[in-house]
Amino acid sequence: MQKQRRLKIIAASLVLLSGMVFLGYAMLKKTSVRHFTPALLVADQGKVDDQLVQVDGLISEGSSEWDAANFKLTFAVRDRESAATVNVIYKDRLKPDNFVDGGSVFVEGRYDASENLIVATKLMTKCASKYEGAESAIPTDETSYISQ
Amino acid sequence: MTAEIGQAAIYLSVLSGLWAIGFLCVGLRTRNPNAVRSGRNAVIATFILISIATGALIYGFVTDDFSMRYVVEVSSAAQPLLYKVTALWGRMSGSLLFWLWLLTVAGAIVVWQNHRYNKQTGDTLAAYALIPIAIVQLFFIILVTGLIEGVYNPLARFPNGQVAPDGAGMNPLLQTPSMAFHPPTLYVGWISLTVPFAFAVGALASGRVGSDWILRSRRWTLFSWIVLTVGITLGGNWAYRELGWGGYWAWDPVENASFMPWLLGTAYLHSVMIQEKRSMFKLWNILLITLAFQFTLLGTFITRSGIISSVHAFAQSDIGGYFLGFILISTAGVVGLIIYRWKRLKSANRLESLLSRESAFVLNNWLFVGLTLIILWGTLWPIISEAINGQKASVPEAFFNQVVIIPGLLLLFLTGAGPIISWKKITTNNFRRMFMWPLVIGLVSGALTWGFLALKGNTSPIYSVLCVSAAVFVLVAIFAEFYRGARLRAKRQETSFLNGLGLLIQRNKRRYGGYIIHIGIVILYIGIMGSKGYFLLESDSLSLGESMKVGAFELTMKDSFEREYANYRRAGVIFDVAKNGKRIGTMEPARHFYYKAGQGEQDTIESAIRHFGVNDLYIALGELPRNIKGGDIVNVQVYHNPLISVVWIGVAVMVIGGIIAIAEKSQHSKET
Repeated sequence: MQKQRRLKIIAASLVLLSGMVFLGYAMLKKTSVRHFTPALLVADQGKVDDQLVQVDGLISEGSSEWDAANFKLTFAVRDRESAATVNVIYKDRLKPDNFVDGGSVFVEGRYDASENLIVATKLMTKCASKYEGAESAIPTDETSYISQ
Repeated sequence: MTAEIGQAAIYLSVLSGLWAIGFLCVGLRTRNPNAVRSGRNAVIATFILISIATGALIYGFVTDDFSMRYVVEVSSAAQPLLYKVTALWGRMSGSLLFWLWLLTVAGAIVVWQNHRYNKQTGDTLAAYALIPIAIVQLFFIILVTGLIEGVYNPLARFPNGQVAPDGAGMNPLLQTPSMAFHPPTLYVGWISLTVPFAFAVGALASGRVGSDWILRSRRWTLFSWIVLTVGITLGGNWAYRELGWGGYWAWDPVENASFMPWLLGTAYLHSVMIQEKRSMFKLWNILLITLAFQFTLLGTFITRSGIISSVHAFAQSDIGGYFLGFILISTAGVVGLIIYRWKRLKSANRLESLLSRESAFVLNNWLFVGLTLIILWGTLWPIISEAINGQKASVPEAFFNQVVIIPGLLLLFLTGAGPIISWKKITTNNFRRMFMWPLVIGLVSGALTWGFLALKGNTSPIYSVLCVSAAVFVLVAIFAEFYRGARLRAKRQETSFLNGLGLLIQRNKRRYGGYIIHIGIVILYIGIMGSKGYFLLESDSLSLGESMKVGAFELTMKDSFEREYANYRRAGVIFDVAKNGKRIGTMEPARHFYYKAGQGEQDTIESAIRHFGVNDLYIALGELPRNIKGGDIVNVQVYHNPLISVVWIGVAVMVIGGIIAIAEKSQHSKET
């Protein structure tokens, strides 16, 4: 009797544990989004066509265009180390604060390889220097992200 | 001069910290009460020294001492006094000092709380608990001395007597009252968790692993839980009102870092009840509170190491490594103590049935810990995936939203089932008497919800239906508990039902305070279901005179405005709002443009929010042309957030319940 009860309790715990592990694993499989730099994304083009991706880079100088009438932001993300760029469209969402030429940007969205274009669903900017003081000679230790 | 005094105080506190640890250890080992007393006094001394250092930094802010590096980074001459003071925790090194100061306050309170008790009984548990507190303090003291790489002393001046003309100032986004109070509230909550953890370690060290350590730190645990609940909500509320994305929770790493200790603390608050009632789970409780404490440090590690980018993200620094090292070493220490005391940690009882209150508690704990681990897994996924696949990846909000649903609904069900299921083993009588009606009413409500949502054209209402069913089940179960108890009291005391209810709560604050928390949880769930599941979002580009529709609302942009304030300009538009064709008033969403010498303007979204009962209409504006005229286009984003106020109400009820529960005096049990 005692033994049977223990078995039952152990079985129930195992069911619960595997349920949790499965839930975590399955959802991860389903939702995990691969992360790229513009250079890596351009190099991997064929393999990631029509997939959700994240790209981390800089807002290419002079590339951004805000079309207020159509509520549409277009710009290019530039690689930090090479000349590779990826185009981005961000529609029907407010342009995030601190969106400036040369600033850090983080884009999440579906990648269209034929046009080298990401239709973004999420856009984050990072204000690296704006508040770090007029006395820029003074080094600071933190930056902050503003999400949209 | 003040800064130098503060620095000297920090250096001296290294000595007082070492003194406390050394004398407490030796004194307790050799049973020398004088040494123990000296160690306790050293804990007080650390508190005084760190208070001096903190005071010196605040003095620097208030007097605009721009020869101090930290003051220059987070303050400026024009900053209002409130934000000069809150600048204390504006950045890393200051927030570490603030954290340390709160820790020394906690240490001093523990000394004071146990002073008389120690005298009366010669008890040493609190003295043992002071050792881990002093060790954690010493870790933070070393960080703020500025002697190690990666962090600088917040009281340091610029080299060569440099003085900056003005400070950089705090980010305007952070200059709002709820941002002033959100971080310190979280800190207070995290630091309060150090005390029950310290008592657990003290219990292991002294060998008194009964329920004494739990009871004596119970108020700290509950206090921490209440404060964390408030702190997390303040953060969500701030995001909702200030950031302009219409939501209050986005599973950002920093949010997760504050949420995980809360989950573990909640698990712990439940599992200790089993140890008190049935002498089970001694080892588990120690592990759980250790884990909760370590997660408060892990949160700092995640947010400060820069390994994961986040909305809040504080840039890369070496400090993460120190935190990780401290987490590993202190965990190893606790594990060592557990092995040392292994024999005493055996449970006196075993689980007797899968359907019993004990099992409900176990399930509750499994779910809380499981949720924490899944959230941790998702939060750390960028690092894990890079280590496994060599490919960086991360999980979006959707991952978290989906994984929490099922465990979350199970937990909601337990909120009602736990309090009414019988100890040891459920009986048919118990089931019939306690479960029948709540289950029936819950299921009927679920069916009605299904019908209602189906009529509204909702094709996949399953989670809403389950949520409403469980919520109604819990409410009926708990109200029945109140009703039965109050009626009994009223009968016995021959008084009215309401008096009976008052007496009931007063006599057993812990239990009924807990039930009120459970009611708050139900309300919170309903709010989350409505606001996360049924919000509407419309975006449009409008010029003056044009209008747009969101649900039953029609908004017409009829005018614009611009006003000048001390350090910013407020510009926006005026909307006429009509519901179902009936005009009900105006709303004025805006943007604030802050001036910054030499850097132009920085603008922030100032959403307009209007409450309609428990639903909100929420308008945010995009970039604004100056002096908006006829043909100018303004980008508008409008949210209709149903039941959002219910979220805040739910949390308020939880906090009220927590305050009632904490009012119950802790008993000191005699057992070992």
